[in-house]
Amino acid sequence: MPEDGSEWPGLRVALAVPQRRDLVSVAAASGQSADAGYRTIRSRDRKQRSKLSRWYRGNERTVLGITGLVSFFVLWQILAMLGLISEFFFSSPLAILAAGIKEVQNPRFWTDVRISAFELTMGASIALVTAVPLGILIGWYRRVSFTFDPWLNFFNALPRIALLPLVVLWVGLGIQMKILIIFLGAFFSIIMPTAEGVRTVDRTYLDVARSYGATQRKLFTSVVVPATVPFIVTGIRLAIGRALIGVIVGEMYAQTEGLGVMIDKAEAALASDRMLFGVLIFTIAGIITTEAVGVIERYLQRWRPSIDVEEGH
Amino acid sequence: MTANASVAGKAPSPRRWAFKRPSERALYGAMGFIGVLVLWEIATDVGIFKKSLMSAPSLIVKAAMTDFGSGAIWPHITTSLSEWAIGFAIGAVVGIPLGLIIGWFRRFDYFASVMLSAIYATPKVALAPMIILVAGIGIEAKVILVLLLSIFAIIVSTVSGVHSVDRRHQQIAQSFGASKRLLFTSVVLPSTIPFILSGLRIGAGRALVGVVVAEFLVANQGIGWYISFNGTMLNSARVYLGILMLGLFGIVLGEMIRVVERRFDSWRPEIH
Amino acid sequence: MAVEMAAKDLIMSAKGIRVEYHDRTTKEAFLALESFDLDVVEGEFVTIVGPSGCGKSTFLKVVNGLLRASAGEIKLKAAAKGRDDAMVFQESALFPWYSVLDNVAYGLVCAGMSKKDARERAKPMIRLVGLEGFGDKYPYQLSGGMQQRANLARALTVDPGLLLMDEPFAALDAQTREIMQSELLRIWDQAKKTVLFITHQIDEAVYLSDRVIVMSARPGRILADIRIDLPRPRDLHVKRTPPFVAYEEQIWELIASQMKTSASQFGGG
Repeated sequence: MPEDGSEWPGLRVALAVPQRRDLVSVAAASGQSADAGYRTIRSRDRKQRSKLSRWYRGNERTVLGITGLVSFFVLWQILAMLGLISEFFFSSPLAILAAGIKEVQNPRFWTDVRISAFELTMGASIALVTAVPLGILIGWYRRVSFTFDPWLNFFNALPRIALLPLVVLWVGLGIQMKILIIFLGAFFSIIMPTAEGVRTVDRTYLDVARSYGATQRKLFTSVVVPATVPFIVTGIRLAIGRALIGVIVGEMYAQTEGLGVMIDKAEAALASDRMLFGVLIFTIAGIITTEAVGVIERYLQRWRPSIDVEEGH
Repeated sequence: MTANASVAGKAPSPRRWAFKRPSERALYGAMGFIGVLVLWEIATDVGIFKKSLMSAPSLIVKAAMTDFGSGAIWPHITTSLSEWAIGFAIGAVVGIPLGLIIGWFRRFDYFASVMLSAIYATPKVALAPMIILVAGIGIEAKVILVLLLSIFAIIVSTVSGVHSVDRRHQQIAQSFGASKRLLFTSVVLPSTIPFILSGLRIGAGRALVGVVVAEFLVANQGIGWYISFNGTMLNSARVYLGILMLGLFGIVLGEMIRVVERRFDSWRPEIH
Repeated sequence: MAVEMAAKDLIMSAKGIRVEYHDRTTKEAFLALESFDLDVVEGEFVTIVGPSGCGKSTFLKVVNGLLRASAGEIKLKAAAKGRDDAMVFQESALFPWYSVLDNVAYGLVCAGMSKKDARERAKPMIRLVGLEGFGDKYPYQLSGGMQQRANLARALTVDPGLLLMDEPFAALDAQTREIMQSELLRIWDQAKKTVLFITHQIDEAVYLSDRVIVMSARPGRILADIRIDLPRPRDLHVKRTPPFVAYEEQIWELIASQMKTSASQFGGG
């Protein structure tokens, strides 16, 4: 940071005189005939752009992204209206919207949302509060890790949803079953990266902490946990997907209540619009939770320098 | 501080011990693996675990010998395997080129990005009832679900691979006047390979989820069905057997891809 | 300013180069280079030294076409054969997925040569830089010094009229750097190339060059253009001679005065 703005004469000139094409044109106008045998590298010919085009260039990603999404829905709607895709099977955006409007006025829908949200929150948070400490434990103590590795690797490689019939055997078809299957889905997704994060803590930082006489406790809070945060966040990201699968499949399997049942029943009633509205709720849930994790991650990672800098000298 | 001295004295390098001590690793690993099985067996034997719910390792082995001996389990294995393989293969064949195209063309990438992340965030298993309605109860529905579950992981990983191409490497190609085509084949493609492989690893796992879910919901054959059916029949040993086979398949699969990945380790960029 | 020379000897002539950057995160613009003029004559070894961030690497990128200036122009002698210019990049700029031989052949492949022919043409260059027998190795199997030899060979293979070197030895340890410096002089002598070299090491600049261009802190301007009148061929002993040390001191004074200015701006630069 400049202590005094006047230390930046160059910057001010740059802002005041955005282009100095005259230099180029002078050189060109002087018309040196000795130029034969030379290649000329000219300066950037900065075009004077309109305000709109400058705005577009600054926001191209957003503009095109939204265009993409909108055209997807528009195309779907048109194809459905033309009968090129079967509205019976695939519905259409407007029909889904209509079904959605009807659905949100239905108290049963909100009961389903509440139940699914409750299962998800319970299962995922129990997984989080157990998997993180256990992951740190396993990552830190070599022998503990070696002992549990075979089983952890097994469950990590297994699609946890396969445990569903077993969970039903153990606890029946009630809400405990769904919470348990969500928990199982999320737990292994968090514990594996957490342990890996502790294992790969940079030794230099540990040595620094130890040489200053850090207690074991201080070592964990000052070095191990901060260094492991990115890994835990990665685990949580994976866990969200697994947990959502648990909610849906668990509910479809148990056939009692929740959004999974709503989707299944809607499809059985051949109401593809209502069914896709249910899917949309899960999409929104997936986006919101992933975004929330991103926000938390950015907060926890604010000490990490941004890598998106042009030209690092 | 005494705690300091004792801590500093042990575990010289927590970052490398996993590779440093293969024999210790094997010893403790075997202890952990066998220990759990023995405790399980005893717990069931003395009645701490209910036999009908928890079964026991010996009962699972017996079930395995019966079902493999009679050959009754093979149709389930081949059914699941072919559903998995067809869906995953289509996912790879379509997903990798699509990911490369999306990553390479900036405007195309922007155009697809919002849509892609929305689809990525959607739990595809929620579409299972619709897929079953459209494609019927045959293998097609299962292949479609497997495909849907695996392809987006492959696309997203490939796209992020193209995006993470080292800017310096791009500059080198540019500096020597490489054509766009050469830039693609000499820089973009090789640096994306590790990402493609990790996409395939993730996609293969997701595909397995697809097989299981599809077979839970509608099937009369396959390992997923085998687990589910034996669950309702309270035949717990076979439930465990089916789960065991799925887990082992997952491990073998992961190891196979990891072997290929390791070949590219020397020039693998840092990713998590 | 640049020494007047007959136009036919000029390899490169830069006039009024100005480069602006836009920091994507802060959206601020800053000037990397301002009214930068430089002439380089055939066969010359010219080095640009300056404090960190003075835009010396930026200038090289403009010459190489990796970056476009906001003003000014550069005339570069069109090479009868080979490329007009080629860049030796900073550390670890080899493609890790190619063998050393394929890395060295890369420039020729870019020029449209078949892989087989390019490899044949690359082999003598590998010998020239002292990497014989390492053609089949991958970059990670090479030490830092050897990697930079391969990096140099890659640029030499395309037979450039002007060889651009962007702090090629900056990441090497002190001993390896000295060895590489004398190796570079040997290769330069054999290959008969015109070199534009960037460094922040004063002794490296004096040891290697015919001319040393001293640059100011950002925005980079030329402070001095010093001709180094030390006999060639030079060996490393020349670094201990009084004239060498005098050159070093002269350049150090110029840069130190800049550091004082920039310290108030950047807190030490």
